Amino acid sequence: MLVAIVVGVHPGPASGQDSAVSPSGHACPSGLEVLVERGWGESARLAPGDTLEIRSAPEGVSCRAVVTGLFEPPPDPSRLNVDRPRLLFHLPHLAALAGRPNDVDQLTIALAPGADPARVAERLEPLLPGAQVLSTVDVADRSSTTFLVVNRFHGAIGLITLIAGGVFLACIMVLKVQERRAPIAAARLVGVRRGLLMGWLVSEAAILSALGGVLGLGLGLIASSLINAFYQHVYDTTLVFSRVTVEMTGQALALAVVLGLGAGLFAARRLLVLDALEEVGR
Amino acid sequence: MLLARTSWREVAHRPLRTLLALVGVAVSTAMLVDMIMLGSGITSSFSDLLATRGYELRVAPRGTLPFDTEARIPGFSSLRDTLADTPGVAGVAPVLAAAVNIDVDGASAPGSGDRAGGALASGRRRAFALGIDPAEQGILRVIDGALPTRGEALLDEDTARELSVAPGDTVEIGAAGGFGVVARTARVRVVGIAEFLFAARGDAPIALPLEDLQRLVGRPDAVSFVMLRGTEDADPAAIEAAVTAAAPRVDVVTLAGIVDRARQRLSYFRQLALILGTVSLLVASLLVGTIMAISVSERLGTIAALRAIGIPRRSIIGGLTGESLLLCAIGGGVGLALGVVMSGYLESILSDLPGLPEAVRFFVLRPGSLVVAYGLLIVVGALAGLVPAWRATRLEVVTLLHAEEP
Repeated sequence: MLVAIVVGVHPGPASGQDSAVSPSGHACPSGLEVLVERGWGESARLAPGDTLEIRSAPEGVSCRAVVTGLFEPPPDPSRLNVDRPRLLFHLPHLAALAGRPNDVDQLTIALAPGADPARVAERLEPLLPGAQVLSTVDVADRSSTTFLVVNRFHGAIGLITLIAGGVFLACIMVLKVQERRAPIAAARLVGVRRGLLMGWLVSEAAILSALGGVLGLGLGLIASSLINAFYQHVYDTTLVFSRVTVEMTGQALALAVVLGLGAGLFAARRLLVLDALEEVGR
Repeated sequence: MLLARTSWREVAHRPLRTLLALVGVAVSTAMLVDMIMLGSGITSSFSDLLATRGYELRVAPRGTLPFDTEARIPGFSSLRDTLADTPGVAGVAPVLAAAVNIDVDGASAPGSGDRAGGALASGRRRAFALGIDPAEQGILRVIDGALPTRGEALLDEDTARELSVAPGDTVEIGAAGGFGVVARTARVRVVGIAEFLFAARGDAPIALPLEDLQRLVGRPDAVSFVMLRGTEDADPAAIEAAVTAAAPRVDVVTLAGIVDRARQRLSYFRQLALILGTVSLLVASLLVGTIMAISVSERLGTIAALRAIGIPRRSIIGGLTGESLLLCAIGGGVGLALGVVMSGYLESILSDLPGLPEAVRFFVLRPGSLVVAYGLLIVVGALAGLVPAWRATRLEVVTLLHAEEP
């Protein structure tokens, strides 16, 4: 990576170079131009035509570069916590500024159709001492490690939350069914069939859990919107941090209904095996 | 005593309800404990790690932090004199960090064909070299052998095992020279195994004498950063000010400053901990509150009878609140243990995050975390019992009896 450090900002066009020679003895490139990342450019109140003083290293002598515009980088989650702004130069300009003419940090190679990236990498690497040759898949794997780990962490937290939610739902269902002890016992005494009563209790459980599920989904959607709004504001990005998909919605609703039905069924079966007379007498 | 017995009987009389409530409270408490541990764990763990060897200050190239960029400080010899002459400075430990490749004598390095980790396509092992001053260093602990002198190196246990290298063996190290540049190489003898305090998982660290690594990477007299150790009575802030004034091309950072930057970068986990911790507490309070509300409404007749025989209101409230506290105390106790177990599992997931020192922990078990979680749960339990009990005892006996009728 070729590195440059911004050491000063001057509104308006450059009046001349502070120094005509960079620290390594190379001349400051003439007509040095730079594109500045929008977020930092706006916070520094930069506009096209302004001038930046740039050094390639802390001990270096500064060169002046004219801002030709601001650019919006593509949303990239790996740069969320990176507070150094990005500047774009013409490659020869930056190489000269850094005192590394004809030098690059990385390059991308397009392969002929049908070529195997792994085999090409194996052949190329010995020819490039000190270099690492990676396929696009390798690069993607390495750069996405953080997000894969965070994803696994979210999965584990989600599982724990699901267990807590499931227990909560089961508890409420048991309580709801137990509340019906007296009317159920009375209904059994007047001859209402157990199957019908079971259907009633289980339907009630299903309706209650479905309604709770819909309410929960509504809350989830609101929370998701708030999370996106908050983090997009904090990081000044258009990245989507929380996404509620149709599949997720279906799974959540189905899970709520299944858990509710299961808990309702369990509690109803327990209730219907009790002695009706005793239950009425309670 | 009568009320305590009544409460216990009520809890024991409905085993399914009680069991579900206990499980719910336990899982919520476990989550709460973990979130409290996560909220403060990484900061305290990172602070402890930084302070391990007693170096309170870091000197880095202006605008950077140690291990943050590839920027280096040139002209270290003169900087060393400046730093050593600064009042309050007792030790100056330079560090040069550089990417290198390792070849083992007599065999190609493992990982050929396997592109995972630091294995290169050509069969070398990519490693992270650290140039140190054996007389003054704070980034590693020697486990076996001795600190390296000229032509010697230290490896960590994992790398030594991966390369099948033991103390006494020789390896060839090649500097990453860049495209088209013939890399410099050096043969070094492994003289020991060390624990590298700040190495991230998969880094494959190797320590060399500073001069050896400077020569290998072609940067004589350059360092990546310097660690400073103060005298016993020295004030780090005063050293920071003195060094900043004497060496304007570098940044001096205190441990607190580094920890603060790390906190900012990992703020996501603190925010997540706050949100999930709050939700856990809310779930526990809703669960216990709902159970107590229904339990009280089922016992309006009993409450009326107790009132009718002269039991004071506050005793009845105390009994019902005790019932709620009992649920929270037992469920919470189980939850604390469950939380500690769960934190180990969650830690094993987050420890795979790249770029963080392996010694940093996200979940740090401190007695304070357990006390805070349990205390919060007891408060929630007390409120969950207090509110329905207070509402029920406010009613007249006749009203209570009327409400009890189906």
